Amino acid sequence: MCLSRFSASVTMAKVQVLNVAVLDNPSPFGNPFQFEITFECMEDLPEDLEWKIIYVGSAESEEYDQTLDSVLVGPVPAGRHMFVFQADAPNTGLIPESDAVGVTVVLITCTYRGQEFIRIGYYVNNEYTDPELRENPPIKPDYTQLQRNILASNPRVTRFHINWEGCAERMEDSENVDPASNSMLPPSCLPGKAPPLGLLPDNSMDCL
Amino acid sequence: MKLLKPSWVSHNGKPIFSVDIHPDGTKFATGGQGEDSGKVMIWNMAPVLREEDEKNENIPKMLCQMDNHLACVNCVRWSNNGLYLASGGDDKLVMVWKRAAFIGPSTVFGSSSKLANVEQWRCVTILRNHTGDVMDVAWSPHDVWLASCSVDNTIVIWNARKFPEMVTCLRGHTGLVKGLTWDPVGKYIASQADDHSLKVWRTMDWQLETNITKPFSECGGTTHVLRLSWSPDGQYLVSAHAMNNSGPTAQIVERDGWKTNMDFVGHRKAVTVVKFNPKIFKKKQKNGGSPKPSCPYCCCAVGSKDRSLSVWLTSLKRPLVVIHDLFDKSIMDISWTLTGLGILVCSMDGTVAYLDFSLDELGDPLNEEEKNTIHQNIYGKSLAITSTEAQLSTTIIENPEMLKYQQERQNAAQAGSGPGGAGLESTAPKLNSVMNGESLEDIRKNLLKKQVETRTADGRRRITPLCIAQLDTGDFSPALFNSVPILPGSSMPSQLTPQLSSDSSQGQASSLGLRPSHDTLLTSPPVKQSLLLTSASKIEPMKALDSRFTERSKATPGVTAVISSTAEKLGKLNKVKQKSETRNKEETSSDSEDKMAAINKNLSFTKRKADLLMDGGEVVEKRKKGRPRKDKMATPISQPFTQREPSRAAATPAPVAALKLPTPSIQKAFSLQVSMEPSVFLEVENDVSVVAGSKLSQLRCSRDGREWDTLLPSSVVTAAGSSDVIAVACEDRMLSVFSSCGRRLLPAIQLATPMSALHCSSHFVMALTAGARLSVWDVQKQTALVKNESLLTIMSGADTTVSQSLLTQQGVPVIGLSSGKSYCFNSSLETWTLIADKGDSLVQCADFRSCLPSHDAPVSSGPLAVMQGRNLNAGRLASRLSSTPHHLQQSMTLAFLENQLAAALTLLSAQEYRYWLLIYARFLVNEGSEYRLRELCKELLGPVHKSAATAWEPTTLGLRKRELLRELLPVIGQNLRFQRLFTEYQEQLELLRNK
Repeated sequence: MCLSRFSASVTMAKVQVLNVAVLDNPSPFGNPFQFEITFECMEDLPEDLEWKIIYVGSAESEEYDQTLDSVLVGPVPAGRHMFVFQADAPNTGLIPESDAVGVTVVLITCTYRGQEFIRIGYYVNNEYTDPELRENPPIKPDYTQLQRNILASNPRVTRFHINWEGCAERMEDSENVDPASNSMLPPSCLPGKAPPLGLLPDNSMDCL
Repeated sequence: MKLLKPSWVSHNGKPIFSVDIHPDGTKFATGGQGEDSGKVMIWNMAPVLREEDEKNENIPKMLCQMDNHLACVNCVRWSNNGLYLASGGDDKLVMVWKRAAFIGPSTVFGSSSKLANVEQWRCVTILRNHTGDVMDVAWSPHDVWLASCSVDNTIVIWNARKFPEMVTCLRGHTGLVKGLTWDPVGKYIASQADDHSLKVWRTMDWQLETNITKPFSECGGTTHVLRLSWSPDGQYLVSAHAMNNSGPTAQIVERDGWKTNMDFVGHRKAVTVVKFNPKIFKKKQKNGGSPKPSCPYCCCAVGSKDRSLSVWLTSLKRPLVVIHDLFDKSIMDISWTLTGLGILVCSMDGTVAYLDFSLDELGDPLNEEEKNTIHQNIYGKSLAITSTEAQLSTTIIENPEMLKYQQERQNAAQAGSGPGGAGLESTAPKLNSVMNGESLEDIRKNLLKKQVETRTADGRRRITPLCIAQLDTGDFSPALFNSVPILPGSSMPSQLTPQLSSDSSQGQASSLGLRPSHDTLLTSPPVKQSLLLTSASKIEPMKALDSRFTERSKATPGVTAVISSTAEKLGKLNKVKQKSETRNKEETSSDSEDKMAAINKNLSFTKRKADLLMDGGEVVEKRKKGRPRKDKMATPISQPFTQREPSRAAATPAPVAALKLPTPSIQKAFSLQVSMEPSVFLEVENDVSVVAGSKLSQLRCSRDGREWDTLLPSSVVTAAGSSDVIAVACEDRMLSVFSSCGRRLLPAIQLATPMSALHCSSHFVMALTAGARLSVWDVQKQTALVKNESLLTIMSGADTTVSQSLLTQQGVPVIGLSSGKSYCFNSSLETWTLIADKGDSLVQCADFRSCLPSHDAPVSSGPLAVMQGRNLNAGRLASRLSSTPHHLQQSMTLAFLENQLAAALTLLSAQEYRYWLLIYARFLVNEGSEYRLRELCKELLGPVHKSAATAWEPTTLGLRKRELLRELLPVIGQNLRFQRLFTEYQEQLELLRNK
């Protein structure tokens, strides 16, 4: 018998995300993000769900994360529901110039009672459509020429066990800090500085 | 005996704690440990049974997996009827699963393994009461109760007809309860616990019948489970781990006095699981041998911690077979096929084994009838459970006719719920593809615009999600138990799947914006670069980003990871890359395979960046390439709006002032076909010649190739005809009626106002004048059915207009109004009666889908259907979206069906009356409305003995009522509850027929 690793207050996830369709993709960089989200709820939720779209401005630091928008979704009775989450494109002023072109990530997270229970990530490729621009990208990125392509076919879903009945405080690992508080730093903070080598997290390789 | 270990049945190497074969033998469930949760998996049995099926890639092996349990699953059990699966786990929960029959294959969202769930099993109930790990669950005979036992020392009995209702909690054990078994007769339930006891409880009062401790006094609590089992004849109960002379045994407990004189000896370690074969056997008759009457015996499999399995026959002193070293770890569970010849065994080592026996080895299994005879001989009839009224399946069928209908119903149900479930599923899609008349595609197209978005007090956006389906939970009521499951909006995933795949293919086609037009401009594209840029799958890269997928936001942001470009790292990555290519693709979600791909891309990416930097070409033109896209995106959205408005305006006829109906304008010539069978054409030519100052018009009629013509002294405004009569209305407000051969039947009728609409049907003529008055004449009898009746009564609203008018074959005039209401004039009551209302909430909410004729479901055709139109179809589906409670819905449906019957009666539409009568009866039968049903039958049967006083008409609308009753009887026969009613009316009909 496996000893129960969960406290009595933890119960089965009440919300299951069934599908996320990426709309308007690929699209110009400045277009709003649109995700059509389908989810199923086991029982009526007394509180709203909070959904966020987080744009990872730079792979190098969470400092450049931008919360594009956050919406409350509710009321949520038991059943299957869908909605479209639309959020404006990222503020280009907050993206390190060196990271404007290339691959990054957009995250959709959902929290209930302040606890994140699902995180859906997509790789995003920002690329000049013009082959000449592609070969010779300008030093200062030209966002009007960039095309955003979300790799919709390969969502990466991570689910977290949360306490659906109570509040965040009772969970041990619920230090769920709003990334928005970090996202508003000026871009000049770390303008494309090469990150120190050898700081690769331990767990990044050993799983191979 | 044949032995097989299907290696593909696995929980990725994690322990499998439980296995259970579905009663129909087509699939089996396993339960155990998942990645970071408990796991229940459902597997196809065919690849286990047949090697060719195992090799056939088109035959799925895994049917469904459910990760909903938060912790290890200790037990999975199918209900006896096969409709439900119960699972219990370390998360203290019991979940009850039901198959969502209309949902097609789908993958778990975000799972990188492309293994689709072929079947969809949905958790319909979560049973919470235990305060510790649930170790075993068991369905009672006939699925009346579900029992679960737990390390919290209790056993909970749940009402399986009304989940999550708890019947009782059995307390008395002082240790972890690790096994349960029901007495096959339903009188007892037995449990075994770590407290060195086996307890037998009565189901009558849920009190302890006996407490057996002696054989267990030496036992230590060393086993994970103690799955005990009751023999199919009910005579023996066999325990798991017991001790006899310091040796592990399985104790045999006799029902008679709960004596413990015998045991199964031989295992070297504790017995974890005992499972009786569901069949009772008798000795196989040898060819030529004298048929000796032999005593029936049972067969029992015993699994142990010593990793071996023994199979015993109660007629033999020694085990039939012992298999050692079948597994690397303890045996955890055993399940027999219902045929009694196959056995699945699972182990803590994460594997399962299948054993196949032959009749020669086990003997001849008794059939159900013989088994019942044994039960009856031992226990008498009275021991079959009769406690609940829900216990219909054990009701004895008293009437042979009834038996026939019951069997038909069962056959139909089986055909539908067979392995593929093809019967059910093939009829379902068309019903599912629309929601309230609107397809899912339409809903999705407009979702962003339609969804309700508000601002909260603190200014935050709040979206109200669109509910596209309710969950089909809680339908455990007996009334619904046998009906076709209605699964709201369940077509979702199957529709989404193609959408998803088209998404991805689209992404690949337009890979990184390299369009054909651009290609032509590229004179000599660098080979390396085109390789890098051609496929969207190249997007993946950046190891550093991967952690972002799986980690929650951290309070202290730090430098997480970097793209490394040192030679050393590259070398390392290359090695890893080679390794990864040899690996199988079997990972899920956030796994190393994806990470590998990411790293490969990472490599190419750093190279590409370098390439781009070295090629110092110039950037000049095509600046605006990105722009036009946006405009293109915008146009198709705005188009439908601009186009739709004028077309809709054109479709609706110009509104007319109240009580002034529009009149057709005079045409020079026109022709129309008035009848198909025989084919009758009318041709009208106005002003053909002028004789003595008056203009003459010609009416020509062609009937099956024979023609006649006649002249009229005024211009013909409108004409109509049927197979029997032809009617024409002229400009001088004269109405002339001719026979099918051109003979004038009536002198010209003078109308007060010009003709608005003229209809002929059979030998009836209907005239609707511009003054909003209606007349109907029976030409044959030369009488008026409706005398210049005003439409004032029904056209009360200022804006209502007549949108449709028709005359039925029986001479009933029907007027459809722009308000959506349709009326007919009932000439015997001399009133207008409402027959259809498109805005009626009853129409919207009535749900009688399960009562439609099952075979081909021909939608009724007739005046009622014409007036109600497709609106009725929408109503059938609306119920799935609305959140009306069942009892309200039931009443609404009843009211709606009765409206339909009354309307069909008023319209004298015999076929439609019969159609709705059958649906109505089916609904009454399904919902168990006995009073209404009885009254209906009484009315149809009429008085058995004729007397002058009775005003009973033997026919309705030309249909013989007793014939209708004869048609209803099979419907009534499908619900055993009505067997008295069935018998009563069947006998009376027989009596009348013999008279």
